[in-house]
Amino acid sequence: MTQFERGQLQRIRLHVLPTKRFKTFAISLFAGLTLEEATVTPVALIPFVLRRGTANTPETIAFREKLDDLYGAGFGFDVYKRGDSQIVQFRMDVINDKFVSSNSSLLSESLQFLGDVLTNPLLENGGFNKKYVEAEKITLKKRLDAIVNDKIRYAAERCLEVMCADEPYRLHPLGRKEDIDAITPAALFEHYEQWLDNAALDLYVVGDTTLEEVTGLVTEAFRLKTGSPSPYSKPNIEHKVQEVKKVTERMEVSQGKLNLGLRIGVGYEDEEYPAALMYNGILGGYPHSKLFLNVREKESLAYYAASRLDGHKGLCTIQSGIEFANYERALAIIEEQLESMRQGKLSELELNQTKAMISNHLRELQDSAYEMIAYDFNSVLTGKQRSAQQLLEQVQAVTAEDIVKVADRVQLDTIYFLRDRKEA
Amino acid sequence: MQTLNYPNVQETLYREVLDNGLEVIVLPKEGFNKTYATFATKYGSVDNRFSVGNEPPVKVPDGIAHFLEHKMFEEPTGDIFAIFASQGASANAFTSFDRTVYLFSATEQINANLETLINFVQNPYFTDANVEKEKGIIEQEINMYRDNADWRVYFGLIDALYHEHPVHIDIAGTVDSIRQIDKETLYRCYETFYHPSNMLLFVVGGVTAEEVFELVRKNQSSKSFKPQGDIKRYFENEPVSVKIPRKVTELPVSLPKCMLGFKEKDANLEGEALLRQEVTTKLMLDALIGSSSKLYQQLYESDLISDSFGHEFNSSTGYAFSVIGGDTPNPDELIKQIRLGVEAVLAAGIEPEAFERSKRKKIGGYLRMLNSPESIAGEFTRYRFRDSNLFDLLYLYESCTLNEVNARLREHFDFEQLAVSIVKQPSA
Repeated sequence: MTQFERGQLQRIRLHVLPTKRFKTFAISLFAGLTLEEATVTPVALIPFVLRRGTANTPETIAFREKLDDLYGAGFGFDVYKRGDSQIVQFRMDVINDKFVSSNSSLLSESLQFLGDVLTNPLLENGGFNKKYVEAEKITLKKRLDAIVNDKIRYAAERCLEVMCADEPYRLHPLGRKEDIDAITPAALFEHYEQWLDNAALDLYVVGDTTLEEVTGLVTEAFRLKTGSPSPYSKPNIEHKVQEVKKVTERMEVSQGKLNLGLRIGVGYEDEEYPAALMYNGILGGYPHSKLFLNVREKESLAYYAASRLDGHKGLCTIQSGIEFANYERALAIIEEQLESMRQGKLSELELNQTKAMISNHLRELQDSAYEMIAYDFNSVLTGKQRSAQQLLEQVQAVTAEDIVKVADRVQLDTIYFLRDRKEA
Repeated sequence: MQTLNYPNVQETLYREVLDNGLEVIVLPKEGFNKTYATFATKYGSVDNRFSVGNEPPVKVPDGIAHFLEHKMFEEPTGDIFAIFASQGASANAFTSFDRTVYLFSATEQINANLETLINFVQNPYFTDANVEKEKGIIEQEINMYRDNADWRVYFGLIDALYHEHPVHIDIAGTVDSIRQIDKETLYRCYETFYHPSNMLLFVVGGVTAEEVFELVRKNQSSKSFKPQGDIKRYFENEPVSVKIPRKVTELPVSLPKCMLGFKEKDANLEGEALLRQEVTTKLMLDALIGSSSKLYQQLYESDLISDSFGHEFNSSTGYAFSVIGGDTPNPDELIKQIRLGVEAVLAAGIEPEAFERSKRKKIGGYLRMLNSPESIAGEFTRYRFRDSNLFDLLYLYESCTLNEVNARLREHFDFEQLAVSIVKQPSA
C-alpha cells in the first residue's frame, strides 16, 4: 500500500499520495474549528462567499468559466461536524494532463485556483463584497430551511439535536438561521481572518505527483501567513444518560420515521473502536444485520432499518421508515435487538459475515482517492495513527466478548418519531 | 474472446457472447483492489406489455419488474445477502425504466462471488407466502418515495409529459398495483426477460479477463436454457403533445420545487443516432443553462434559483425529454425568466466560447467518470442496451460542432412541448 508523504507549509499540513492509478488529481482542503454557538454561523457562511469570486476572478461567471476551462474541474465544498469540530472541506478534482492536449499543468492551475479561493478573496472597503455576502446569506438561510425537505435526513438530524441538547454537537454545521441577518461584510471578513489564523488546516493531494511538487505549487498559490499548524481538540464522548428522551413530532408525511440515538462511549482513537465497528455492523450496518433481518425481512415492517456508527462523537444511531401504527411494534423489535447484543447472542456466522464486510470496505477504499483521503484524515482528527491494514487486522481479531463489552457500555439516549398530523 | 482497445482513454475491454446468448464484458483495472460486477437484464418498468415468439401479448401490473428484483434475493436456502456477506461482498440491485441490474463489489473471493451473482439471478424462487410478505416491504418503499419531494417533482414531470408511454408509471408501481402481483405473473416475466440472450454481465476491476471468461463459460454450460423467440415490447402510440401542461403536488417543503420538461416530438432514434443526439443535447443544455452560463448567473442573482438548480436530458427509443429546474421561491417568475432567456439564445445562437467551455467540461467529466468502476459498469450497460457504446462518447464530444449544437437548440426548444411540475407547501 502506498503511503501519504507529509510536509508542512506555515499553518498548513500537507499530505500527498503519489499514485498513477487514477486519471485525475484529487485535492481536498480541510479547515476545522471547535464547534461554538458564536462562530458556527459565520464560519458556515465563509465558504459560500469565497466561492462567489476571488481578487483574480471577481465575477462569479468568470470564476465558474475558469473551472470549465480546466476541463470541467470539479469544485465543491461541504460544511459538517466531526467530533466537536466544525469542518469546512473544499474539494477539487481535475484530470491528469496526459489525457488531454493542455498547454499548462492542470494540477498547478487547480492549486492556484484553490489558493485564490482560500487566501485571496474579493475584498472591498475592508470587508467582503457586499453583494455576494447578502446573496449567500439568503442561500444559507434556504439551505437551513431545506433540511426539512428530506424527511430521512431531517429525522436523523432532529434525533441528534434532541440527544445532544446540552452539548455543542446540537448545533447544525450550517449554523443558526437567527444569527444570519446580523452578519455584515466587515464582520464576516473578521471572522474569516480569525478562522484562517485558528483553524486546523490540512491539504491533501492524490495523483501522479510528489510532495516536492505540491509544496512548490502551494508556496506559489497560497498567500500564507506565518505560523504553525493547529491541532484538533479532543471531543467529549463520555455521557451518562439520566433518562431516555422520547420525542414525537408531527408533519404531513406518508411514512413514519423512527430514529434512536445511542451513546456508545467509544471513540475512534480507543482500543475498543474495532469492537464498536463490529457492534454496529452486527446490529444494523448491513443487509445481513439484526435490524434488517428482524424489522424488515421477518416482520415486513420497513423498507430500511439500519444503524450507523459515529466514532468521532461516540454515538450510534438507528433509523427506520415505518407505518405510523407500527411504532410500538417496531420499537419493541429494535429494543429486542439491542438486548440480544447485550446478552451476547452473536452467532459465529454473524461475526464472520460482519468481519468480511468491514474488511472488504477497508480494502475497497484504496480504490478511491477521496476515500483514502477521508480515512487518513481520521488520524489527523484524533491523533491516532492506524492504517486501514492495521484496522483490518484488529477487526479480524475482535471476539464476541469484546463486542459484549461494548454493548455493556451502550446507553439508549433518545427515541425520536416523526409522524403524520392526524391525532390518533 | 474479442479484445477492444481504447487507447485515447487507456482502457482495454474483452468481450464474448456465449452459446446461450449471454454477453460478457471484462474490463481489467490495473492496481485496483476491488472488483465490481453487474448482471443486468434489459427489462425495466416500461416493459409492461410484451410477447415472446408467436405467443399472444400479455399486460402485467405496474411495478412488477421492481417487485421481481426484490424477490430474486430470496432462495430456498435463505437470503442471498447472507451468502454475499460471508464472502465479503456488498451486494445490491436496482430497477430503472429500461433495465434491472444486480451487482456486487468485493476485494476477495471474486470467483465465489461471481458464481453467487450468476446463480442467484438464474434461480428464481417465488412462493405465495414469500410474494405476500414482500408486499409490506415494498409498500414502505413506495411510502418513503411519496414523502420525497425531489422524487415527486421529477416523476410528476414525467407524468405530465406522457399520456401513454409507460415511462410515466412509477418504477415501484402503486400500493394497489403491487397487490395484484402473484407468483405466476412473476415467473412469466422472469422466463421472458431473464433469458441469457437478454442479459449482460459486466466485470470491472482487479481481475484477469481469461479467468473470468473461463468461470462464466463453465457456469453457463452446466445449465440449460431453452432457445427463446424474439421478445416484442408493445407501446401505445404516444401523442406529440404533453399530457398536463402544469402539474402541482402538495408536500411540506421549505421552498417550492419547480421543473420544466421539454418533450421531444420525435423520439424514434436508435443506436448511434440516439447517442449523438444525447451528446449534442447535453452540450447544448450545459452551454445554455449550466452553472457557468449567463442565464444561470442571471437567475441566481435574481434569487430565483439556488445550488439545487440543474438540467438533464433523458432519452431512449420511445421517449426523450429534457428537464430544467430546482428549488425556487417563485415558480411562475422562474418559468417566465427561463423562457425569456432561452428565447434570447434561440435568436442569437450559443456563443462559440461558451460552446468550447462546455465541451471541455464534458470531456473532463467523462474522463473523471472512468475512475469509478461503478460508473463504468453502470454507464456501459445503459448504453449497450440501446445498441451504443460508452467508449464512443469521447470521440462524439470531441467532434461535436457549434453548428450541430445550435441546430439542436432550435429543434429541441418548442414551448408548445413544455410541461411544468411543481411541488409546494399545502395551502392552509
